[in-house]
Amino acid sequence: MSSDTLSLKIEFGGGLELLFSNQRIHNISIPASVPLDNSITSADSIPPADVKQADVTFLMHYLRETLLTERPELFIDNGTVRPGILVLINDTDWELEGEGEYVLKDKDEIVFISTLHGG
Amino acid sequence: MSSCGNPQSTDADELMPRRLKFGRSRVCVRCRENPGNIVIRHAVYCRDCFSPLVTMKFRKALQPAINASAGTSKRPRLKAEGNLLMAFSGGLGSSVLLDIIHSTYFSGQPPVDEDGNPVGGKKHPRNASVWPSASVCYVEVCSAFPGMRDRTEEVRGAVEQYPSFEFVPLRVEDAFDKSWWEQVGGAPSAFQLSVDLGIGNLSLASASSTPPDLTPVESMRTYLASLPTPTAVSSAIQNLVRMLTLHAARSRGASHLLLGTSLTSLSIGLISSISQGGGYATREELQEEWTPSGFGSTETSRPISIVRPLRDVTMKECAAYAWWNDIKIVGRDKSARAIQGIANLTKDFIVGLEKDYPSTVSTIARTCAKLAPKDAPNGNCILCQRPVQHGIQEWKSRISIRSYADAKLALAAHTHPSSQCDPPAQPLDPMPSLTPRLCYSCHTTLTSRSSRGLKTTGHLPAPLPVWSKQSGQSEMRDAIADYLLDG
Amino acid sequence: MLRRGDSDPETLSVSVQVLTLSLRRSNHCSLVRSMAPASCALCQNAKAILKRPKTGQQICKDCFFYVFETEVHHTILESSLFKPGDRVAIGASGGKDSTVLAYVMKTLNDRYNYALELFLLSIDEGITGYRDDSLETVKRNQQQYDMPLKILSYDELYGWTMDAIVSQIGKKNNCTFCGVFRRQALDRGAATLNVDHIVTGHNADDIAETVLMNIMRGDIARLGRCTMICTQGEDTIKRSKPFKYAYEKEIVMYAYFKKLDYFSTECIYSPDAYRGHARAFLKDLEAARPSAIIDIIHSGEAFEVREEVKATQKAQQTCIRCGYMSSNELCKACTLLEGLERGMANSVITDRARKKINALGPAPDSLRTIPHYRSPLPVVSVEAPSHS
Repeated sequence: MSSDTLSLKIEFGGGLELLFSNQRIHNISIPASVPLDNSITSADSIPPADVKQADVTFLMHYLRETLLTERPELFIDNGTVRPGILVLINDTDWELEGEGEYVLKDKDEIVFISTLHGG
Repeated sequence: MSSCGNPQSTDADELMPRRLKFGRSRVCVRCRENPGNIVIRHAVYCRDCFSPLVTMKFRKALQPAINASAGTSKRPRLKAEGNLLMAFSGGLGSSVLLDIIHSTYFSGQPPVDEDGNPVGGKKHPRNASVWPSASVCYVEVCSAFPGMRDRTEEVRGAVEQYPSFEFVPLRVEDAFDKSWWEQVGGAPSAFQLSVDLGIGNLSLASASSTPPDLTPVESMRTYLASLPTPTAVSSAIQNLVRMLTLHAARSRGASHLLLGTSLTSLSIGLISSISQGGGYATREELQEEWTPSGFGSTETSRPISIVRPLRDVTMKECAAYAWWNDIKIVGRDKSARAIQGIANLTKDFIVGLEKDYPSTVSTIARTCAKLAPKDAPNGNCILCQRPVQHGIQEWKSRISIRSYADAKLALAAHTHPSSQCDPPAQPLDPMPSLTPRLCYSCHTTLTSRSSRGLKTTGHLPAPLPVWSKQSGQSEMRDAIADYLLDG
Repeated sequence: MLRRGDSDPETLSVSVQVLTLSLRRSNHCSLVRSMAPASCALCQNAKAILKRPKTGQQICKDCFFYVFETEVHHTILESSLFKPGDRVAIGASGGKDSTVLAYVMKTLNDRYNYALELFLLSIDEGITGYRDDSLETVKRNQQQYDMPLKILSYDELYGWTMDAIVSQIGKKNNCTFCGVFRRQALDRGAATLNVDHIVTGHNADDIAETVLMNIMRGDIARLGRCTMICTQGEDTIKRSKPFKYAYEKEIVMYAYFKKLDYFSTECIYSPDAYRGHARAFLKDLEAARPSAIIDIIHSGEAFEVREEVKATQKAQQTCIRCGYMSSNELCKACTLLEGLERGMANSVITDRARKKINALGPAPDSLRTIPHYRSPLPVVSVEAPSHS
């Protein structure tokens, strides 16, 4: 099970793409089972009790470690997305999907949009 | 006081109960059919119902400000007195505003009601054109920040997607440019007004000590560099942009100036203004009517309504609207955000609060809308044109003693039996002072220092924006004119 | 002290790069050990030994005492708070604000012949390990300042100590009980002392915070009231805040330099309850620009609730059970007390929950209630002065 992977489409908007090599769309694959502590080591080497299904919180940490190129504090703050970033999971507000606890499925599309570009 | 002693301050939880982000159902509260796509202050909407919701809030905020009396309330017949000018920053709010204004009033397609039918029928005259002409004003601020990129052309590209809007590019240094001032109908003058910010009483500098022939950019940088705090710098830039936009609107015969301020930005602006002593102008932060004076023709000096049509739309709604309607956001440079001043501290604070307590921003705006200034104003501020309160300097010197002359003065004002202090002989100030013509907030901007010691940069007089000469009341103008001739 | 790393926001004010947050934390201490001794910005004479948080001026100790006291004097004169012969109770907790208030009130009363009769009034909430210790401080203040002291306890007034309340309801809402009970206890204590006036140690930081808080939670009635220096309900004794414009930091400095004896432990039931969102934000604002505190108060004084909104506000009435002023039939203290007595204290915090408790039927006769309150004053209606 831990060898399963999920293909995800990640998109950044509202200026957030600037933190990710100015590239709006990233197609990535992540393992379906991941460490509870959201570290990006392989879950295979970890006791099953410390493993969870990949969720959005893990994805945020994964993106920070692998794709983010500058100013991590503008993306993650206190273990969650920085206030002012709108997250859509398959075009739906993540607040309707359980926010960081949403368990990712294959082919999910996750969008992060910064709202902080003022009036 | 200590942790007790204030009955109003109790648990943060009790003061601001944290609520579920949405009600029980995930179905759209509007159509009650589709699964919801977005949560707006605890209510769930589907994507189809969301965009009409935003445009409905937009119309509700804007249309009463156009001409409330014409037509019936159901079928208002919109016809503005003058032209339209929109302020555009490249940011989220103003990008959404531009798009909605275009699709509502300038796309040639009649506005639609909730069911997608043209409101009032296809031949309704409302759409003829509400405003004879519409322009979009962008103020480039890059000269105020070293290393900031000029985005004028990018912004021009974004605005030119909408063929009915004329693009009006300005630069923040135009505020110090005599030729721009004459272009927009200001009275020509050979002099630049300067103020000495090194000393407390803000006396206007004599002509001989004014640095000769600074370029507008140099003048602006000297002005900003002489301000005492980062808070003052960001508030001064904000005010320069605001005044430039106002004068652009005036010179183009506009009856309406629209700003892309979202509900979130509005609340941030209100708290930030209150924190900078601007409580007297709280009403103006919400909605403002500016009547220019001293500019020849009636065409270019009619009252201008400054309206924020997105004032009920949160930043989150703007972001979702832009995303789902493919509105491209040019974005703003982050240099201005890096200033560690009150405006940005407030923004961080409110945006952080809004995440956990989504109603906070509307509560702030609603509360402030219930307030009115306490006393009648004493003219308008020479820098920001907002109303000036009476007795500002007396208040300041009573509450914070900065010299023993102040202290004695404040004491002498009372006939307390034990007060044996004589009114001190105030040294006569030979130069007129700017102080009596400033609102509390602008006076604070120019004089309030950080906790980090007195600034020891040289005493170069700081040039003032070009409108300072004209915007004072007539006796002020005369006083300055006399003094300038003498100098 | 005043060193703040490498970036100096003043010189960077135009060439803004990234101004670090380091500025935020390091603003606590305002005593200056300047490298080159500067002379006092006020008397131009003595050596400056401190930098005044409120104005940023470097001044000497004597000038600091003088301006601090004189500003409070201005506040008192400007609002005509007292008249000769007034009996004034100082709400004394033993903490820094009320200790400095007692000292300054005594000093000004002597210096300017206010001709006031001053009393110390303390409320014993019944918090073991906290209030019992701080009351010892108040008792010493009584000796030091030579003022009569009256202590009134929650136990004798309500039949409940805070210790007992917390053991029933836990720590979550206990500050609500304490705050409501204290307000009424102060009025009742003042009534037994037969005073005209209570002064409390609320300082400028408290008031600025309250202005922001009331805007953020939409409490328009309190927003209109909170910047008034003096309030008086229909039936209560005048209450005022002579430290309305005094910075918390300066109160601490004043106590420090005068070596005043005060008790500085946080209440054990509300560790950090005061450091809510608004307080932390206010401290950030003060660090960015120290005048922010006074600027917020100025804002709060500059506006008022619009007339048409005022008309919709609830009128004050008298509590049917204890006679204290109230905006409902039952005053807040009686409601909370009834909740405690009926063992459902946590459910009387909100108005909606109160309706629920009412639905359970009338309060049983055996219920302990607060003794009926009779104001020592004739019923008058006083508009607090507006100061602009």
